[in-house]
Amino acid sequence: MNLKRMNKGLDFLRGKYGAKKGEITIKDGHCYVGATPLLPGRMERKIVELKKMTENGTLEGVSTLRFAAFSPKGADLEAMLAKELDLAAYLGASDIVRVMAVANGNAINVLAKLANDVNVSVEIGAGLPKGEFGYDRHEIIAKRGVACDQTVDTHTPHSSIRCWGANGTDDYTDVDTELFGLTYEEIWNVRAAFALLQGRASAKIWKAAWAKAAKAAALAFESDRKKAAKAIAVKQGLNTNEAIKTSEVR
Amino acid sequence: MKPVKIAMMGMTHGHTRKYYQTLIENKKLDWVASCAQDEEAKRVYELYETGVPCYLDPDEMYRKHPDIEAVVIASANDRHFEQMKWCAEKGIHILSMKIPTFDMNEYDEMIEMCDKARIVCQIELEMHYNSVVRRLEKLIKNGAIGKIKSVQATNITLSPVWAFPWQGDPKASFGSVVPLKRGDPRFRGGALCDHPHIFDLIRHLTGSDFDYIFAEVAPNLRDGLKVEDMLMAVGKMKDGTAFLFDPSWSRLEEKLKVPGPGWERFPKRMEVNVTITGDKGMISCDCFGPNVYHNGAPNDRYTVQYTYFDEWVGLIDEFVDCIRNHKTPLINLRWHKQTILAMLGCYESIQTGKIAKVN
Repeated sequence: MNLKRMNKGLDFLRGKYGAKKGEITIKDGHCYVGATPLLPGRMERKIVELKKMTENGTLEGVSTLRFAAFSPKGADLEAMLAKELDLAAYLGASDIVRVMAVANGNAINVLAKLANDVNVSVEIGAGLPKGEFGYDRHEIIAKRGVACDQTVDTHTPHSSIRCWGANGTDDYTDVDTELFGLTYEEIWNVRAAFALLQGRASAKIWKAAWAKAAKAAALAFESDRKKAAKAIAVKQGLNTNEAIKTSEVR
Repeated sequence: MKPVKIAMMGMTHGHTRKYYQTLIENKKLDWVASCAQDEEAKRVYELYETGVPCYLDPDEMYRKHPDIEAVVIASANDRHFEQMKWCAEKGIHILSMKIPTFDMNEYDEMIEMCDKARIVCQIELEMHYNSVVRRLEKLIKNGAIGKIKSVQATNITLSPVWAFPWQGDPKASFGSVVPLKRGDPRFRGGALCDHPHIFDLIRHLTGSDFDYIFAEVAPNLRDGLKVEDMLMAVGKMKDGTAFLFDPSWSRLEEKLKVPGPGWERFPKRMEVNVTITGDKGMISCDCFGPNVYHNGAPNDRYTVQYTYFDEWVGLIDEFVDCIRNHKTPLINLRWHKQTILAMLGCYESIQTGKIAKVN
C-alpha cells in the first residue's frame, strides 16, 4: 500500500464532500486513523451490496455464510481470518460465539457459529505465487435467496478487462472513478478512513469490532492446536454489526 | 467555489432518478428546484422524497428561483429543443440527455443558440465517467494492443418503454413519425435512440470518424411496440477500423411503471461489452462487471445487482467545472453531431438496404 497516494485520495474526498482532518497510518500491515483500526472490508462496495440485501428483504432467513480468502505466499493468515470473521459478524448481523479450526501450514479452515445460530465457514489460504492478486468469495445462503460476490458457474473472480497485449496478458478491475489509480486494497482503506472522518462510521464501534474479530481469529488457531472448539462470550451492549451509511459511494 | 444553483426539467427521462443522489450530495451544487412535465411525472418524482420543490410550469419555477444557473434537461427527445431554447434565452447552462435531437436543422439551431447565449451545453454520455472505460481508454492510448483494427460493442438493455412510454412513441423519441422501411409497420425511435454510447466511444478510442454504416432490424421481441427493439450495425471508420455494434433492447423486462427491483427478466439488465482487436493484441471488456448476484426478492430470479458504477458523479463534476471555469465539455453539441449522424445513418441504411455514408 502506498500511504502517500492513499492520503492524497483521502484529502481529495475530504475537500470535495467535507470531513474532519485526519490521515491514514499503517501499523503491522493494518491501516489506522489515529488509534482507530480501519475496517476496509466493510466499505468494499460488494460487501455494502450484500449487507443491503440482508436488510432490505432481498434475502430472508439467513442460514449459512460461506466465505473464502486466498493470498500470495507469506500473507498473515491470522489477519486474513480476522477480516473474514469480522465480515461474517457484519453480514450475519450477529457476533461470533464459537470457532473450530483445522490449520496446516499456509492454510486454515474454520467453522464458526454466530449468536443467532447462523453457520459460517471460512477457507483461508496463502498459497498463491508471489506477485499474484489474492481473491475472496462471500456467499450468503438464506431461506429465500442466495447472494454472492462471484457469479454462478465461476470459482475464481472475473475482471472487467482482459488485455492480451504485446507484453503478455493483464487483467484490470477498476472499481472507483474518484480514486482511479489506487489499488483495490488502497481504495477501500481510503473509503474507510473517509467514512470515519465524516462520522458515518463510529471509531468506538470499529475498535470494538476489530478487537472481537482479532480475538476470534486467535481463538480459531488455538482451537486447531487444542483440537477443540473455543467459545466466545458475547458482551451485551454496543452493536458492532450495524450497517455503515455509504451514501457517497454508489 | 460558489455552488452552482441547479434545477431539473421534464423528469420523464429514464436517467432522471440517477441524478438525485449526486445533485444532493455534491457540495459544488445547490439543487433548488425541479419542474415536471405533467402530474404523473411529478407524482413519480415525489416518490423519491428529495425534498426539492417540484413545479409544473417552468416559468413559475423561474419566477420563484430566478437564481437558477443550470438545468438538467431530463425529458423526452422531442421536448429538448423548446427546453434548450427556454434555457438559452435566460442564459442558463444546460446538461442535455444523450439525444439532443435527430432533426439536424434543429441541431444546428441548438448550437447557434448556445453559442449566442455563451452557455455550457454538455451532453450526457455518462460512459466516459465509468472507471472501466477510463482504463480502456488509457490502455488504448498507451498502445497496449497497437493500432486498432476492429471494434465489436454491445449496448444492450431491457426496454424502458413501460416506465417511460415516450421511448416507444416515434414522435416523442425520434422527433417525427418515419417508417423504418417499406412494408414494415414499425417506425424509427426505439432501441437505437436509447443507445448512442458505443457510437461515441469508438470515435474516442480510434480518434477517427465514421465513414459508412450498414444496419439491419430484426423481428421485435415485444408485441405491439411501434418502434424497433432489435437491430445491429456494421461499418467502417475513416481510418479503416471495422466495427460491429449491437444497440438492441434484447433483454426482456417486467412492465413496471416505476423502475425498481425485479425490473429485469434476464439477469443483467444492461451490458456494454467491448472487444477490440489491434495489430499487437486484443482487449475484451465488460464496462458493467463484475458485480454482486442473487436470486432473492422480489422475483426469486438470478439477478445482477450493479455494484461499482458511479458515472453520474464524474459527469456532474465536469459540468460544474465547465460552468465555473469556462471550459468546453468533452461531449459538447459540436462533437456529438457526428455521433447523431451515424445513428441517422443506421436508420437510412435500414430504409434503403444499402450502406449509408456518414457525413
